[in-house]
Amino acid sequence: MSGAPGIRGHRVSGAPGIQDVARVCAALDRRAFLRGLGLAAGAGLLPTGCDDAPGQFAPAPDQELLHLTPRSYAVLTAAAERIVGGRGADWIRSRQVDPGAHADAFLAAAPAFAPPLEQALLALEFAVFPLIGKLRPFTSLSEAGRDAVLSELAGSRLELKRMLFGGVRAISLLGFYSARETHALIGYPDPDQVGGATIRDAMTYPLDW
Amino acid sequence: MSRHLRSEAVVIGSGAGGGPAAAALAESGLDVLVLEAGPRLSARDFSADESEMRLRLGRALTTADAGQSLYAGRCVGGSTVINDCLCWRTPPEVLDSWRREYGLVDLDDVNFGSFVERVWRDVHAEPTDRSHINRNAHRLELGARRLGWAAGPMWRNVRGCAGLGRCNFGCPIDAKQSSLVTWVPRAERAGARVLANARVDRIRVEAGAVAGVDVTTLHPDTGAPLAALRVDAPRVCLAAGVLASGSLLQRSGIAPHASGRGLQFHSSVYVTGRFREPVHGYFGPTMAYAISEFSNVNGHAGPGYMLENTAVQPLQTASVLPDAGELHARAMAALPHLAHTVVVLRDHTRGRVETRRDGSVQIHHALGDDDLARLRHGMTRAAQAYLAADAVEVHLPVHGYGPVRNESDLERLALIPLDRSRLSLVYAVHLFGGAVMGGRREGSVCAPDGACWDVRGLYVTDASGLPSNTGVNPQITVMANALRVAAGIA
Repeated sequence: MSGAPGIRGHRVSGAPGIQDVARVCAALDRRAFLRGLGLAAGAGLLPTGCDDAPGQFAPAPDQELLHLTPRSYAVLTAAAERIVGGRGADWIRSRQVDPGAHADAFLAAAPAFAPPLEQALLALEFAVFPLIGKLRPFTSLSEAGRDAVLSELAGSRLELKRMLFGGVRAISLLGFYSARETHALIGYPDPDQVGGATIRDAMTYPLDW
Repeated sequence: MSRHLRSEAVVIGSGAGGGPAAAALAESGLDVLVLEAGPRLSARDFSADESEMRLRLGRALTTADAGQSLYAGRCVGGSTVINDCLCWRTPPEVLDSWRREYGLVDLDDVNFGSFVERVWRDVHAEPTDRSHINRNAHRLELGARRLGWAAGPMWRNVRGCAGLGRCNFGCPIDAKQSSLVTWVPRAERAGARVLANARVDRIRVEAGAVAGVDVTTLHPDTGAPLAALRVDAPRVCLAAGVLASGSLLQRSGIAPHASGRGLQFHSSVYVTGRFREPVHGYFGPTMAYAISEFSNVNGHAGPGYMLENTAVQPLQTASVLPDAGELHARAMAALPHLAHTVVVLRDHTRGRVETRRDGSVQIHHALGDDDLARLRHGMTRAAQAYLAADAVEVHLPVHGYGPVRNESDLERLALIPLDRSRLSLVYAVHLFGGAVMGGRREGSVCAPDGACWDVRGLYVTDASGLPSNTGVNPQITVMANALRVAAGIA
């Protein structure tokens, strides 16, 4: 198995899932610095080419996005690859699973979450320099570079940075694990799966098992 | 153009507080209109798609400090559609406290108990037999047995449960006896009308008496406002859920001294065990077994929490497992081998609901140090139970804490400061207060009979009227109180 190396050095308890997307959004939404960063990015005040989504992680040319911008889609995809880790990272890289598309669909159903998450993704894209001292956007970093940024956020003493990581982690895992095709990766049996685990398997066992 | 309806009684909400009230009032002969902000779905609409159903059936919220997440039902049937079917009678210590501390003198084992028994029968509470204790629950059972802790199967309101593991997404075979399949149809059989996608914006008061409600109808798919609706009614039962009820009182200018206050939770955290053998925790009843050793009700004198097994669904599990990258992927890849236990704390912390100028709700509730310490205690005990049940490793929802493989790995937990950002996965699973009953007008919204002190004809029948948390899953208590209040109206 050629999995992503993962984020080493820091174990984090982020907060994905729908409830935790809400939780993290609430925190991020109140952070003026994130809003400022988002505005600055939008105005092209931050370094490096901010106009187009990096090709490696960009949405397909004919892909219609309802809430995410091409750039925030790319940031999410780049982050999700590292956050999901393992074989899931391979699946994201090979586009077998598209967490950006699933996250976009989620935001279409819950549009209130879109602005803070957009800000969080932009902040991640353009906050590389203060975190690891490189003047490059997150999406142009190597796998190791992206891991370093995420680790810096996750293990930060500053709550704001940890919350930023929590927000990106939340939407990444939501985007990935809400895709039905990921069930095979984690052994979750689909109802129409032949030969998979059954309810009976869950209900029978030796009493001292 | 605004539509106009009349009714003898309006019930705002259709869950554990609204459903029984609507049924009781309709059966007493009143013309009842039930207004529910969420959509009306039925068994055929309930899919196994975890994220889709969570979005359709409820809404996610958070406390103002982002320290806790909440998920409230928003559909016909309310939170009873997405709960875990657990049934507990109101503990005698809780009733005693309500009588002594809050002046609810009629809420004794006989008076209140008779309503509890009616609900118990009407929602078909039944013991969970051996055949419904799945491997997930059995792991907790085994740990409790080996440690000698008080524990047992819980009672559930089900008929013909097939163990699909989808209680939280809406039961697709109507085995769960939620308000959607019990109280609401019963109210309709007695003539009640149920209007879904109808959000109450304001309770109208004229000359000290309730005059009706102002409503906005919502698009069933998008939730976008469609039209204004005015309803005239001399009786209004408020059962919109703790957050919405308190907020609606505030928006209506009713009982400003007490509305939104007295908020209290059962806060919870998840502990995950990984076992050598497959557990298949996504199948079977979502919750079935509880360790009550550490409870402080029903004769126990513990620190005040329950340990209850809970289902292992993909998205939820991704949420509660710590770590990221390779570590997270490895834990997720073991999904069939995972079991979850939730620590359900009887909080001491009190909070309040505030309605902002734009009408949105802000929840002020920051867990106090004492509650955080008891959550830490609960996590430790849950991990010990799983280790006693031969868990290979246990995952705690704490920043920077690796898998626990033995008792000594738990010792470090005492050294970790559990502020909101380190203990990020805290869920408020049950909510109480915001429009509380009390023996005195000061500090309460309602009299002990549920009637609003300030507005004639207005009653509170949901958990917002309860003056404190119960230490056990509260749906039976809420339903019983709704029947009790409704009996005084009809």
